[in-house]
Amino acid sequence: MSMGLRKILSRLFIYPPAGFVILAGLGIYPAVSGNILHVEILLLAVIYAIFAMSWDILTGYTHEVNFGFAFFIGGAGYLSGACNVFLAFPPALSIPLAALGAGVAGVLIGYLTLRLKGPYFSMATLAFAGILYKLSFILYKITGGEEGISGLKSLSSGPVTDFYLIWSVMIAIYFFLLVYSRSKHGTILKAIRADEDVAQSSGINTAYYKVEAFALSGLLAGIGGGLYAHAQMHIGPAMLSGSLSVLVVLLAMIGGMGTIVGPLLGGILLSILNEALRVVEVYRIVIYTGLLIVFIYLAPQGFVNLEFVRQSPWLKRFFLGKEESHGPSFRG
Amino acid sequence: MDILIIGLVRGALYSLIAVGFVLVFSVGGILNLAHGTFYMLGAYFTFIFYSLVFRSGQSGTLVFSLILAVISVAVFACLVYHVLLRKKIESLVYTMVMTLALALFIGEIMSLLFGVSGTSIPSLVEGSLSISGVKIIKHQLIFLPITGLILPLLWLFLKKTKTGQSIDAVSQHRTGSLLMGVNVEKATLVTSGLSAGLAALAGGLIAPVSSVVPEMWLFPLIKAFAIAILGGMGSLTGSIIASFVLGYAEVFTSFLIDEQLTELVSLAVIVFVLLFKPSGIMGYKSV
Amino acid sequence: MALLLEVKNLSKAFGGLQALRDVHLTVSAGERVGIIGPNGAGKTTLFNILSGFYPPQSGLVLLHGQNILGKRPYQIVNLGLTRTWQLVRPFSGMTVIEAVSVPTFSHRARARSSNSTRQGDIVQILDEIGLAGKIGEDVDNLTHSELRLLDISRAMATHPSILLLDEPFSGLSPRETEKISGMILHLNHQGLTVVIIEHRLRELMKLIQKVMVIHFGEKIAEGTPEAIIRDPRVIQAYLGERSPDIGLA
Repeated sequence: MSMGLRKILSRLFIYPPAGFVILAGLGIYPAVSGNILHVEILLLAVIYAIFAMSWDILTGYTHEVNFGFAFFIGGAGYLSGACNVFLAFPPALSIPLAALGAGVAGVLIGYLTLRLKGPYFSMATLAFAGILYKLSFILYKITGGEEGISGLKSLSSGPVTDFYLIWSVMIAIYFFLLVYSRSKHGTILKAIRADEDVAQSSGINTAYYKVEAFALSGLLAGIGGGLYAHAQMHIGPAMLSGSLSVLVVLLAMIGGMGTIVGPLLGGILLSILNEALRVVEVYRIVIYTGLLIVFIYLAPQGFVNLEFVRQSPWLKRFFLGKEESHGPSFRG
Repeated sequence: MDILIIGLVRGALYSLIAVGFVLVFSVGGILNLAHGTFYMLGAYFTFIFYSLVFRSGQSGTLVFSLILAVISVAVFACLVYHVLLRKKIESLVYTMVMTLALALFIGEIMSLLFGVSGTSIPSLVEGSLSISGVKIIKHQLIFLPITGLILPLLWLFLKKTKTGQSIDAVSQHRTGSLLMGVNVEKATLVTSGLSAGLAALAGGLIAPVSSVVPEMWLFPLIKAFAIAILGGMGSLTGSIIASFVLGYAEVFTSFLIDEQLTELVSLAVIVFVLLFKPSGIMGYKSV
Repeated sequence: MALLLEVKNLSKAFGGLQALRDVHLTVSAGERVGIIGPNGAGKTTLFNILSGFYPPQSGLVLLHGQNILGKRPYQIVNLGLTRTWQLVRPFSGMTVIEAVSVPTFSHRARARSSNSTRQGDIVQILDEIGLAGKIGEDVDNLTHSELRLLDISRAMATHPSILLLDEPFSGLSPRETEKISGMILHLNHQGLTVVIIEHRLRELMKLIQKVMVIHFGEKIAEGTPEAIIRDPRVIQAYLGERSPDIGLA
């Protein structure tokens, strides 16, 4: 291997090689496989990865658990769907608009929940998601109530192009979040997580960074929500449900909170597992959620944070890349 | 007059839900996010016991199914606490996630067994009354005497029995109680069971007159939280009063503004407190 | 000499308990001031108010002539007043370099940095404090005295004009105490004003120029170390808690 190539690779592999492997795998498979069903499965998996990673940048780095994530997903989905169906905006416009709306909501909710900690923060997030969920039924004239909004314009001409579109977006989000989490923003969030008072006495306006993370998390979830809505060409209250929020939490946590790559892996692999269980379709959801509980019981900190991964230099480098300081501890 | 009664009935039901929630918080220091799940289980178990075991359709057997349901949910809660949480109770994040994951899982099982559209159980007391022109379902009136019986019993339990007193002690000062030789673990265990039982009772009572669906864990939880922060997180009497406040607020909204908005009241409470007194949410412990 | 910090009529009550009553204090630029008093006298409360973590009930706090009451803690840091904590409070889960990098993100540090890179700043501070060898180490692996040095490093990374140290010697061996004491003196000679709360009176008195004594929330004495140790009111405050009828302490 030449020196130049070696240098480039080692620069590159500051970021987790595991991430590259998954992204590459996802990129190649739809092109070579003729199986449209598989492509649709992977499409969903990629979207869930977006959700999980967006969730992680807030909760993984501040340890304030957001249980109302469906607020941003479904909220943006409905916003985009409404703009598209009622105002005839094309998805290329309605999705960013919706994501922006989600981001603004993130600023507001982040600000409102600033002084809340632990379970209080979590309950508040549950409450906000609950509000939107109820509203989707109350405002049934706009939102279609139980039925939701149908007839959203699709993203592109077919599932495969849809997939690559979403895949590209996910890659962008993934690398953006990696860079963000290793920047001063990530470090400050980790400091806030460790000890907010001390972060303040280091001259940091902790409120600002907390709100910023919340808004970012919401914005990215909004992108995912908008993409999802248009990929399915439908948006319904299920995208605002508590079940979705909990699912995203589980995907991210089982992958490994606070790493970005963990939720990527969790989102993709667990969604594929979900589909693989279709052989027992009737029991699928039950088995899936049951398995998720078993996984989280066995590895409360998530897969990439497992002891045996962290201790082994090869595994650690493969899954986490370089310069990732050691994992979050849950104490307190 | 009708509003008076309906509000009373609602408040009574809510107090059953809220009291357990606040109790667990006082004793265990945790916001039990699975509280809604126990409520949901109360409803489903009542249905299961009733339809699978007893088929005669008399009120007596329904009461019996209800009691069985409450007991089994209480036992289930103790089991959950024992197996899953006790080992990892130090980690708040994990506890919350696990309890909600359970809510999700159980919701899906129920969905599988009973379908998404809900189940139906006959009422304890059939028919309805007409009070000053408004129809009130008789079954709902039952909530009042039941609550009127249970809450004083609970109070007696906490103040007079040994276990109850240990729970009381722990809720006021966990470390102090530890030092005094109180079996804190047992107290926390009993509280979990008790709290779940109360929630299950509420769920079982509401089952005949409300839709029993898998997502039904979310809003009772939100309401319990709203009531708890209204009444002061650690205060039992406060939460009972707050339950009625919320009950009446919802009834007023329903009659005077728009029936659809009732569910938003509890959410509005939470947001309101957030806006104006965020530290008021993290209240002080008292009894 | 310029008055860096002026505290006037500072009072604070928690419920029924009067934690501070009418406290006055002035600190000139370049001074080394000590604050002593029995446990619970209100010393840390004073620091908490000065650094913005508690609001006072009444009084005035002027930093560089500017009133800082009501300002958020991070704003006060950016105006030049930094404090350390009674218990070591590291950023658990980070490495030393990450931990010390946090204060460098503050406005003040960015404005006053003399190095072209953040890394340069951090290395310089760690060098000065003596932690350079541990730069890549996980914070959770440091010894107690290293953690104290880390706290001070983080404090220095904010480029303070005045540093409030809350019991910096607690938990340290005599040799470690000497080291930290020397460090503080060194920083003072470079222009840092320090105010130190301590219980280790022997080590403290060697270090400071002026002492203020707080008892039950009130300033009962102020003066040079030599004068204060002889002050009968001070002696009584410290010994009064161990009066003969209770028996030997």
